[in-house]
Amino acid sequence: MIGSDGTVLLRARSLNKIFAGEGVVVHAVREVDLSLANGEFVAVTGPSGSGKSTLLHMLGGLEKPTSGEIWLEGKRVDGLSQARWAMLRRRHIGFVFQFFNLVSNMTVADNVELAALMGGASRKQATARRRELLGELGLAAKADAAPARLSGGEQQRVALARAMANRPALLLADEPTGNLDSAATTAVLGLLARAHADGQGILLVTHDLRVACTADRVISLFDGMVVDDAPMTIPHRPMLLPDVLKLRG
Amino acid sequence: MPLLALLAKEPAHGYELKSQLEQVFGEAYPAPNIGQIYVTLQRLERDGLVRSQDVVQTTRPNKRVYELTDAGREAVVEWVDKTSEGPRVRDEFFMKLALSQLARTSDRLGLIIRQRRHYLAQLRSLSELAATVDRPVPRLLIEGAILHLQADLDWLQRCQEELL
Amino acid sequence: MRAMTRWIRADLRASTARALVIAGVVAAVVTALLLSAGLLQGATNPWQGLFTATKGAQIWLHLAPGTSVRDLKSQVSGIDAVAGPYEATAATVVQTGARTRVELRATPSLPLIGRPLLISGRWLTPSSPGGVVLEATFAQAIHAVDGDVLTLDNVDASRHVRVRLIGIAETSDQGFYPDQTPGLIWVLPGLLGRIEPNIGHTEEVVGLRIADPNAASFIVQQVVTRLGNSTVGTVSTWQQVEDSMARRDPLLGLLLALFGLMALGAAVLAIVNVTAGRVLLQSIDLGMLKTLGFTPLQVLAMLTAEHAVLAGAGIVAGLAAARLLMPVLLDGVPGVSAAATALPSGWAFLIIGGTFAAVLLATAAPALQAGLVRPVAAVRAVPPRGHLSKLARTAMAARMPPAMVLGTRAAFVRKLSAALMIGGLAIPILMITVGLGFWSTVDDVQRNPADIGLAASVTVSPGPLTWSEAGHLIKADPQVQAAYSCVRADALALGDTTTITTLGMGTSAQPYPFHVVQGQLYRAPEEAVATQALLAALRLNVGQFVRMWIGGVPVTFHIVGRIIDPQYGGEVLAYGRDTLADEGAPTPIGFYSLVLKPGVSPAAAATHLVRVSGGRLDAAVVSDPADQLGIVHVALACLIGVLALLGLTSLLTASLLSQRDHQRDLSVLRAMGMTPLQVRFALMMRTTVLALVAVTAGVVVGRLVSTTLISAVSKAYGLGAGIGRPPAVGALAAAVVLAIGAAALASMLPPRPGGHMSAVAILGPGP
Repeated sequence: MIGSDGTVLLRARSLNKIFAGEGVVVHAVREVDLSLANGEFVAVTGPSGSGKSTLLHMLGGLEKPTSGEIWLEGKRVDGLSQARWAMLRRRHIGFVFQFFNLVSNMTVADNVELAALMGGASRKQATARRRELLGELGLAAKADAAPARLSGGEQQRVALARAMANRPALLLADEPTGNLDSAATTAVLGLLARAHADGQGILLVTHDLRVACTADRVISLFDGMVVDDAPMTIPHRPMLLPDVLKLRG
Repeated sequence: MPLLALLAKEPAHGYELKSQLEQVFGEAYPAPNIGQIYVTLQRLERDGLVRSQDVVQTTRPNKRVYELTDAGREAVVEWVDKTSEGPRVRDEFFMKLALSQLARTSDRLGLIIRQRRHYLAQLRSLSELAATVDRPVPRLLIEGAILHLQADLDWLQRCQEELL
Repeated sequence: MRAMTRWIRADLRASTARALVIAGVVAAVVTALLLSAGLLQGATNPWQGLFTATKGAQIWLHLAPGTSVRDLKSQVSGIDAVAGPYEATAATVVQTGARTRVELRATPSLPLIGRPLLISGRWLTPSSPGGVVLEATFAQAIHAVDGDVLTLDNVDASRHVRVRLIGIAETSDQGFYPDQTPGLIWVLPGLLGRIEPNIGHTEEVVGLRIADPNAASFIVQQVVTRLGNSTVGTVSTWQQVEDSMARRDPLLGLLLALFGLMALGAAVLAIVNVTAGRVLLQSIDLGMLKTLGFTPLQVLAMLTAEHAVLAGAGIVAGLAAARLLMPVLLDGVPGVSAAATALPSGWAFLIIGGTFAAVLLATAAPALQAGLVRPVAAVRAVPPRGHLSKLARTAMAARMPPAMVLGTRAAFVRKLSAALMIGGLAIPILMITVGLGFWSTVDDVQRNPADIGLAASVTVSPGPLTWSEAGHLIKADPQVQAAYSCVRADALALGDTTTITTLGMGTSAQPYPFHVVQGQLYRAPEEAVATQALLAALRLNVGQFVRMWIGGVPVTFHIVGRIIDPQYGGEVLAYGRDTLADEGAPTPIGFYSLVLKPGVSPAAAATHLVRVSGGRLDAAVVSDPADQLGIVHVALACLIGVLALLGLTSLLTASLLSQRDHQRDLSVLRAMGMTPLQVRFALMMRTTVLALVAVTAGVVVGRLVSTTLISAVSKAYGLGAGIGRPPAVGALAAAVVLAIGAAALASMLPPRPGGHMSAVAILGPGP
């Protein structure tokens, strides 16, 4: 496990999720096992309908598994009540979605500070942390703007700031770049890489392999099942331009 | 190479090999003529990958049956396990994929997975390289390579969906 | 928690307009309820209001002069306070042509208990030693105004003192004049001494304020025992005063009661609509909050607290508005005093508490639901496209739309938004229709009082003149269209111990023009007509016979018809007065009922008759309920206005909700090539169709309800069915057009910025 201290942060065993309704039964997640170490960056990838988002939702307590176990930081969490999950999400888990990341009726600053306040910070501490985060992102100028006034990329960066406001052990991201152009994608990926370098544990769901390949480990899902779970192979030497030419013959 | 793979299943003589090739690849491949097949078989024998035997037939002229040597078998396995490279990847890879069912040398999913892992690593290297380059022309070259890779990865996904 | 207050502050700042709407609706509801309750009380039971406003005493005692009441409070339990004792004496007010008995009460300063309410002028002051304050109804009866100079004679007319009227005040100490006599005049003790220096001719008046009103008679007994029978003169309790003040006016009571019900219904509706709608609009944000770590209970608490604050603000505003508006309303309405509308605190608390509770409940339900539902992508089935394998199709059903509706299931919200829209429009329209029905009924009553049995507007008593002399004078008056000679006789029905008022109105040949709703008017002796209330009380039907004793003589009546007559508490039996003579029953003193020529003012005609007869005829104007119906017009107009506003707010809320729900469809339409204007037009069509359904339903049901409701309640009040009128077609049509137009306009509102997503975002790839 690259860059981690080896202890297991998240462990899922035999996770299943079955959606039933209106005459249709869908087995969205089948017998999925996975584990994430502290500080590890794992990408979960697969085509549309492979169950990635459902898996992520279950790991974050937004969806209740039909069966299976989830262990977070050594404690069993899959059976927790909504209230308990909510408390976990304050300090231990950060969430970033594809959209609707920011509370629409609060300013950017309020959004970030709200997360800090939820984590137990005082008002002063929350403001300081917000300034620090937005400053790092280069978004300090937009602190008082309404989220709707920001571009998609800026919103996602603020969302990341909000998710990491309380330095959670686990960051769950569901297609964070799905809605962004390439420049914004690069910026967000850079942020994730920096967070990872700082020791942040990240579980990222994406269908874009360019995003997935930046992780330490890639888990491939197909039709709700894990088909591959392998660390990214690191080439012995970095690629150079002449190699590129050779690639295309 | 495809001949080797075919022989992995069972020993056969020239005409059988030809009809098998036609069966597997159908119109996707121009069927090599029998002469080419024999030439290739002879070369393989010279290289020590196959051996031949004459089988006596009562009503027909003798036919030569070829079978894999141990070296030949090893070569097939090595070929299958090796990830494919370059512009001919589709052809070679697809050949492996199609033949693997006959050859039972390895599972198709494993094939796809290994190739995908390889591509991912390349993708990463290319992305890292792209980050260091700021002149537009070389960057475009790299972008092109990345896009081709992504297309190949997509195709891998389609293979997975269709054949599994 | 800090986070919760932060969110509440941010939310209020962000949707200030909507928050103000909620506060505004609560204020409007509180104002409407307070005003309607006050008006209802002021019109039907003014005693309660006066008592509250004057901090009245429930018991008034007239005692022999010099009686000590100092220890009364400690000796008799249940007495909270003692007012007085005030020295009082009987006197006579002498005006040209009239001598009226009054009671003079010496009050050195404005008392704390039983404090008279000045409605004009000022209170007694030593700087005006000859100044007096008159009780309001008495002043009205003798046509006295501020500044008038009156002559007061003492009991044995040995002293005459001229006094000046410096003020007029209302009190709850005694009933309205002339129901309760004598008239009350407050004077300074010095003045009383001047008028009646003889202590033996005076009395002590003492008021008792007790803790438990129901124990009044018991306390009276105890007081009389303590003070001794010989020292206690007259005693009056609050029940007697209330009885005498209460207007037994069924028509007014009926209409105002219905009005109150409507106000209540509209209130609940408005509050539920606005608050629930607002919470639903926030469901996406609420889901986000839960992802951040708010527990469901915290979400519930936050929303409830926020709305509690808004409700509080609204209530304060409503209280202030009611206080400001009440005098304005009463300006347009004679006969109801401001003090009479003072609500006892119990009612006020009920209204305020009920409104607050309604807001909290309306918040809690959707907030609870938003809090409990797992915040996850809603699964909505997308119709399969093209030829797909079965597996792929089911996979597509599970793969869902990027449109994350956190906290609510899409289908549920859709149904709810449609229901809110229809209900929010149909119910106000229904009530407006009913209100318009009331309006036409009231109009009808005002224009045709004969329809409710008030054909005659003036009654004349012959006084010292003979019956025929009076008749001549009356018939000679050009303003009189017809005069009916009438008698009023008390009768006892078989098996009943109470007396029934029967009226011999006109003769069988020339009957009084009652408004007959069933059967026919009496045309021969012993035929009679009766009101619904009387028939119900005697358990009779039209066509039956009833036997009564009048003056000891049995009389058998054949009931041939049912009439509407609001007088005498709605229980009336009428026949030709010749029936009495026929049966040998004694004929009591009669009076004339005059029907005036159209356009003649009853007051003018009455005064004219009095003048012409040299003051010997006693002409009185029949109290016209139509006078008091002025309130109803004003109140109805206000209520219809409020209902229209409520309908509008619910339209806006529903429109916003449906816009949010249909974001996906809108974007698909836009992606297909429709211009934004065309898309909005499509939405408008949907809203207009829904509005059409709602309005039609509201009008149809409202029309049915309106007439039925009025008939039902008027039956209960004894007026019988037949009084209701359908709402005016023109007004109704206008309401319908306005409603649908408003709905169309509301739906054409542009979506709020930040609330909509780009087409790509919504149609983008799934999980």
